[in-house]
Amino acid sequence: MDKKIILRRIRHSRFMIVGAVVLVFILALSLLAPVVCQFDPEASSIAERLLPPEWLSHGMAGHILGTDELGRDVFTRLLYGARISIMIAVAVCCSAAVLGTALGLTAGYFGKKVDMVIMRAMEVIQAIPDIVLAICVLSLLGPSTLNLIIVLLIGRTPMFCRLARNNTLVYRNAEFVKASRSMGAGRAHIIFTQILPNITTPLIVQLSQAFGSNIMIESSLSFLGLGIQQPQPSWGNMIAAGRKFLATDPWVCFAPGVALMLIVLAFNFLGDGLRDVLDPKRT
Amino acid sequence: MYFLRFVGKRILQTVIVLFFVSVIAFALIRIAPGNPATLLLPDNATEEQIQEKEAELGLDKPVVIQYLNYMGGVLRGDLGTSYNYQQPVTKVFFSRFPNTLRLTVAMMLICLACGIPLGIIAGIKQGTVIDFVAMIFALLGQSMSNVWLAVLNIYIFAVWLGWLPSVGVGGMEYLILPALTLGYPLSATTCRLGRSGMIDVLREDYITCTKAKGIPDYLVYCKYAFKNALIPIVTVVGSQFGLFLGGSVVVETIFSWSGIGQLLNQAIGNRDYELVQSSLLLIACMCAVVYLLIDIINALIDPRITLD
Repeated sequence: MDKKIILRRIRHSRFMIVGAVVLVFILALSLLAPVVCQFDPEASSIAERLLPPEWLSHGMAGHILGTDELGRDVFTRLLYGARISIMIAVAVCCSAAVLGTALGLTAGYFGKKVDMVIMRAMEVIQAIPDIVLAICVLSLLGPSTLNLIIVLLIGRTPMFCRLARNNTLVYRNAEFVKASRSMGAGRAHIIFTQILPNITTPLIVQLSQAFGSNIMIESSLSFLGLGIQQPQPSWGNMIAAGRKFLATDPWVCFAPGVALMLIVLAFNFLGDGLRDVLDPKRT
Repeated sequence: MYFLRFVGKRILQTVIVLFFVSVIAFALIRIAPGNPATLLLPDNATEEQIQEKEAELGLDKPVVIQYLNYMGGVLRGDLGTSYNYQQPVTKVFFSRFPNTLRLTVAMMLICLACGIPLGIIAGIKQGTVIDFVAMIFALLGQSMSNVWLAVLNIYIFAVWLGWLPSVGVGGMEYLILPALTLGYPLSATTCRLGRSGMIDVLREDYITCTKAKGIPDYLVYCKYAFKNALIPIVTVVGSQFGLFLGGSVVVETIFSWSGIGQLLNQAIGNRDYELVQSSLLLIACMCAVVYLLIDIINALIDPRITLD
């Protein structure tokens, strides 16, 4: 599509701009966490436990969002937690997109038995709810960041695979593919230069939405104690720890909860915006 | 004819998928470190006692034989015994199932009562205030992780307003918060699907035609447009129904709701291998059957699907 049209559409897509700005802001803050924060995310200090946020009465200067039950600064932990959540989301979603697209292209292009084997495998994965699969694997093999990434990757791959396969089927017998086949083009050439460029748009939209849902699942697993382990901060385990103090000190839960909502909202805005911007049928 | 062939093919696919799920569930437990026999014996058990226990559990046989024995039992309706509860797995599983079913039905009711009507109305009244409100409702709902939504619900309704008990199992008042936690995000999704489906359908020529013929608006929307906007909703709502029949581990754990999800989480924690393995299989069975039903319902709504 013409770059000018895309740029013009982006300028008119308010949701997408808001999403992108929020994301860049969160990303910048979390990358700059060591500079922005004056505290250590894992250093506890019992004297300063459960301080309310700075702007409330009894708040202590410096602790913008207060402290948790071990006296650790909530804002600092929030930013360090964002780093690990975003890192896992990027690692999982990008590799799931690549793996899923490769499998989907193969299934869609070669069809028949190859298609059957790959698609049945995807159905097997989807028959087990992904959070259940994740819990089984993580508690049996032990929770570690690598295991977490692998198990989330397994759960995320089928949706990319299905999407890539269904779109490949549309183009496999298209006129231009037939033409280049009759001119002697090889399989690899057809798959990578004729079909792949035509199926990327829905995959990009799917990818941007997968980031948000991946961050949510990761936080659920960390909440259950199977993802990122204390004392390393993650939004899920911060909510889990703060839950005990919900009645008296709600900010310990609310800070990571609101952050979680904001980042997922931003990814969803971006995804919706991208779908509109890249829609070839739009006039 | 096409319909029967379609259904037959889908049933065959489901059986194949379930076979592989059973292999995976079986393998997962075997890969896990730790010997189930030692878990059942006191710490000071001798090597001889361990071997005896292994023989009793059939763990001394080759893996393939173990699998065949297990599947033989499954086909006869014997899903093994839970070490922890000292009861057949089916009994433990189905004693928890009504709670999960209750939660799932409540979730679906919320979705049917809020999500679908709101989405349909927003689609019809595109660009109005109602549409805007519905979109805010949907965008927020889709961004709520169930962990955060659960905590927020507990804070608002149990801590702040004090209207509802925060956790536990019991009457209606215990059901509301977990059902709301599961129901809101699902309502948000169906709201968006209903809206976009309705907008797409209302652009079709046949709708313009029915309108031009002077058929009243409500009939156009209810009879002609709604049915075609329904397919994506049936697919998504149905698959969520199937998934949640297996229990929502997170929500059930947070609200101490003793359903399948909590059972599974505890069983994994206790290394209750037969329970985990057979629960996985039962959950996957329910999911697969629901997926099958969705495809059949969709084929009934839109017969073109069977031609594929």
